[in-house]
Amino acid sequence: MRERGSQLFRRRRPSWRAPVELLSFGLYFLCAVLLVLSRIGHGVIADTRDGLVDLSAPLLEAASLPAIEARRAMERVRSYTAAFDEIDRLKEENDELKQWEWRTKLLERKVAHLRSLLNAVEEPGLAFATGHVIADARGPFVRSALINLGRKDGLRIGYAVINGDGLVGRTVDAGGSVARVLLLSDLNSRIPVLVGPAGVRGLASGDNSSELQLDFLPDGAAVYAGDEVYTSGSDGTLPRGLKIGVVAGSAGALKVKPYAELNSLHAVSVLFFDTPALARADPSEAGVPGALSLAPSDRPDMTATASTPLPVATATSDEISGGGGRAQGDP
Amino acid sequence: MTKLLPALSVLFAVIATAVPWGLPADATFILPLVVVMMVFCWRAIPGTALPPLGAAGLGLLADLMSGGPLGYWALMCLIAATVGDRPGSLGQGRDFGALWLIWIALVSALGVFGWLLASAYYFRWIDWWPIAFGAVAAVVLFPVVLYGLLWIRNGRIKPARNVIFRGSS
Repeated sequence: MRERGSQLFRRRRPSWRAPVELLSFGLYFLCAVLLVLSRIGHGVIADTRDGLVDLSAPLLEAASLPAIEARRAMERVRSYTAAFDEIDRLKEENDELKQWEWRTKLLERKVAHLRSLLNAVEEPGLAFATGHVIADARGPFVRSALINLGRKDGLRIGYAVINGDGLVGRTVDAGGSVARVLLLSDLNSRIPVLVGPAGVRGLASGDNSSELQLDFLPDGAAVYAGDEVYTSGSDGTLPRGLKIGVVAGSAGALKVKPYAELNSLHAVSVLFFDTPALARADPSEAGVPGALSLAPSDRPDMTATASTPLPVATATSDEISGGGGRAQGDP
Repeated sequence: MTKLLPALSVLFAVIATAVPWGLPADATFILPLVVVMMVFCWRAIPGTALPPLGAAGLGLLADLMSGGPLGYWALMCLIAATVGDRPGSLGQGRDFGALWLIWIALVSALGVFGWLLASAYYFRWIDWWPIAFGAVAAVVLFPVVLYGLLWIRNGRIKPARNVIFRGSS
């Protein structure tokens, strides 16, 4: 028995493995430390990450080109196959829109007349820049995208990001030439919204799925499936009136189905909507390093603070359509 | 160059995880798990070198590109590297089936661990479905990735025989 026990003790691993195992232990420890530092949003970690992401941007942009081209080719094939149906649908839509055009012109004249009677102040236009998605962030934690616009293009943290379909997310991190967009569907995304024609206030929260949760609706609110959801602007960072999606689901479990296809984004526009709340949030302004890394925050990232009236978003998908570069949206 | 082949191939996969493929939301876990799978396979294939430090570094790069918490995928890659390199592994006679079983056990454990870790990180239960879907996809894709890596390896190193099946043949 004693001999067997001693044999067990004698069967040790070769001594040359000891440094390797020590290194492995050290690496496990390092991973744990990095996770903790990421969790608390340490400034050094966030700054290092920003710098590295900025450095890797050209590589990512080059790597994403084939995927983007492949997607575009597939979309073209799909559109060619459905071309005749699409023409019929567009003809029908065109007839309908002609009627709407007449009504809109009538309403425009009426609004202009009423504004002149009220001596109303003109709403400022929104500047915007259009770029494209160069990288996706995938995993259990985040739904974000890297875009090829950065501080050099005048971008700041907290700006709304839209595409032709509606709101996509907002910028949470900005380097010199790239920025990270936190998508609506991300766990950390909270957008104050108005729902339906009555403008019922609520909060659209991401849960990493394709639809958003619709929370904090008043008791007995008249909200129905199919109602339009748009930004309320009550957070003081997003413009009011940006369309998000439509209400889906049933009473008690209402969801928002975003208009924008968040899984296959390509061209997006960043709205330069500066507010005092944004100036506080942007670390370059406030001097808080890395405050916009994706470290989770216990508070909603869109707290309703502003009571001052904000300009209404006026840059529409028509205005922003087209290629890259910066352009000024008309009011 | 041959020595760097495992690291380079995993690096290629890491970059591929950041490319906007337009995958549905439920499939978001698949590509990072392919990176982990490649680390596991390279460690299990005899005669190749992907040290734990390299595996952790590549995982860290995946963390950087994904915008998620630093250390998460590094930890996953490190665990895969550790399990893939257990003594008495494939080169000494284990066949493909055994390797696949080890991967199934590992990816199941990593899935549960990753889900718990993500939930602990956010202080809330996160949706488990994308992780489960990714794990199942990783199990299905395993033969493709393993044979793909063996093909790459044989193309570069040109061994006389496929060493992975040395014991069974």
